[in-house]
Amino acid sequence: MNAIEISNVSYTYSKSTPFERLALDNISLSFKTGIITGLMGHTGSGKSTLVKLLNGLEKPDCGTVTVMGENIWSEPKQISKYRYKVGLVFQYPEYQLFEETVKADIAFGPKNMKLDETEIEKRVKDSADLCGIDNAMLEKSPFDLSGGQKRRVAIAGIMAMQPEILVLDEPAAGLDPRGREDIFKGIVEYRKERNATVIIVSHSMEDMAKYSDEIVVMNQAKLFMQGCKDDIFAKSDELRSVGLDVPSITYLSKKLSDAGMPISSNCYNVKTAAGKINSILQK
Amino acid sequence: MIKDITLGQFFPGNSILHRLDPRIKIILTIIFIIIVFSAKSLLSYLAVFLLSLSCIFISKINLRVVLKGLKPIVFVLIFTSILNIFWTTGEDLLFSLGIIKIYKEGLLFALFMVLRIVSLIIGTSVLLTYTTSPIMLTDGLEKLLSPLKVIKVPVHEFSLMMTIALRFIPTLIEETDKIMSAQKARGADFSSGSLSDRAKALIPVLIPLFISSFRRADELATAMECRCYHGGDGRTKMNTPKLTYIDLMSVFLFILFGIVIIFTNNFGGVV
Repeated sequence: MNAIEISNVSYTYSKSTPFERLALDNISLSFKTGIITGLMGHTGSGKSTLVKLLNGLEKPDCGTVTVMGENIWSEPKQISKYRYKVGLVFQYPEYQLFEETVKADIAFGPKNMKLDETEIEKRVKDSADLCGIDNAMLEKSPFDLSGGQKRRVAIAGIMAMQPEILVLDEPAAGLDPRGREDIFKGIVEYRKERNATVIIVSHSMEDMAKYSDEIVVMNQAKLFMQGCKDDIFAKSDELRSVGLDVPSITYLSKKLSDAGMPISSNCYNVKTAAGKINSILQK
Repeated sequence: MIKDITLGQFFPGNSILHRLDPRIKIILTIIFIIIVFSAKSLLSYLAVFLLSLSCIFISKINLRVVLKGLKPIVFVLIFTSILNIFWTTGEDLLFSLGIIKIYKEGLLFALFMVLRIVSLIIGTSVLLTYTTSPIMLTDGLEKLLSPLKVIKVPVHEFSLMMTIALRFIPTLIEETDKIMSAQKARGADFSSGSLSDRAKALIPVLIPLFISSFRRADELATAMECRCYHGGDGRTKMNTPKLTYIDLMSVFLFILFGIVIIFTNNFGGVV
């Protein structure tokens, strides 16, 4: 079963005003359970809008969103329960922190779920561990932290709700390489531990090559392509045509293969590529 | 939801109204308000209403947009109409049932009130806010008030404050929307519970909003300093508006219309 299925969904911003803008145009796609899917696309391709439809924050103009087999809009009054099933981390989530301590901020979601104190305590501890937040940091004010730390606190706040599906919009945007790695490590860890489905919106091909299993590419409010990493990265020309890029190592391997070297043209892992090139050179 | 507020929003366009000098538009709006309040008879009220409708037509703004801007005042309109219809006494009794007495004057008053409020809102918003960008608006205001500089009123500073305030309204709305969505995703509930529950639910929105406003203010101040902003002295404008004959003509037309209104006050449905 697919974790999320979207069929024939369209969404328009500022309907019936001069600012009307079609953000999603008749999109159908599905996100497989238990894997990490990268959602990619140029700025304004509709990624962030799509993400808001997944947990029912926005209602599509037409079409259905099905989360684990249930149409989420069949009962609009019950929509908030899907907010706990599909945890959504927004872009720059550090700006939503508000509590006095990091601990209290992470506990905000679980508290809204009306869990008991010990369970909340446990979940805060677990998600803090996943995101590399130590005990000393838990007692600090979130406003005294660095940008990367704030980001991790915000992500921990969503993880503490233990959603079966975790959706992150540009979780590593604007962070240094070390910060990016910390964040992705936490996400991968969470997926393993809770056997969760993860959807990551990203611009960075390198990150997606490293962490995702499947990739969905959007372009101008439409689904452009979907498939496993190898298939997607093999289509570097098409990716370029929609303003995306392939990882540098894939680009190199394609150039080498075009030049006649016996190497696969969709290589995205630096280590394997290096190994292959090495073995070819030694022959 | 929150993004749908249109009152006080600028809709870019290229109509005559869009191109008028902002100073003239401010003057026209003042004349328009005077006209609305000097109308006294049914005929003159209808004429005023017609004037505001023709403003919409000239501005080429979608009628639906204007109607949407009127939505928030529908309740006020209904409320005042009911008050006027049932509580005004006069000479012409039209209908009575027990203590309920409806007079012709009451009906007329209610109609006048509706026409007055609707015209006022349509007229001022179409003349000014819908067709003038905030920058032009404050520029016009600064120019209009510049004689006050003589008596040491900091006109430039005020207009700059206004520009900044207006400029950041949409930004803040967007920001609020974003933060609300983010907190909703964490299970915050803004639309149910008692009044105090709802007030408390706003804390997770207000604190991040305040913090980001301060951050923005700080960044803006730095950016302005980097560009050597040092107040209004010796500052020139990129676009200096010049009055054209269309500007003067429109003022002339409005004044003429005002005279016609005062004239028609004596005819048709006087109360």
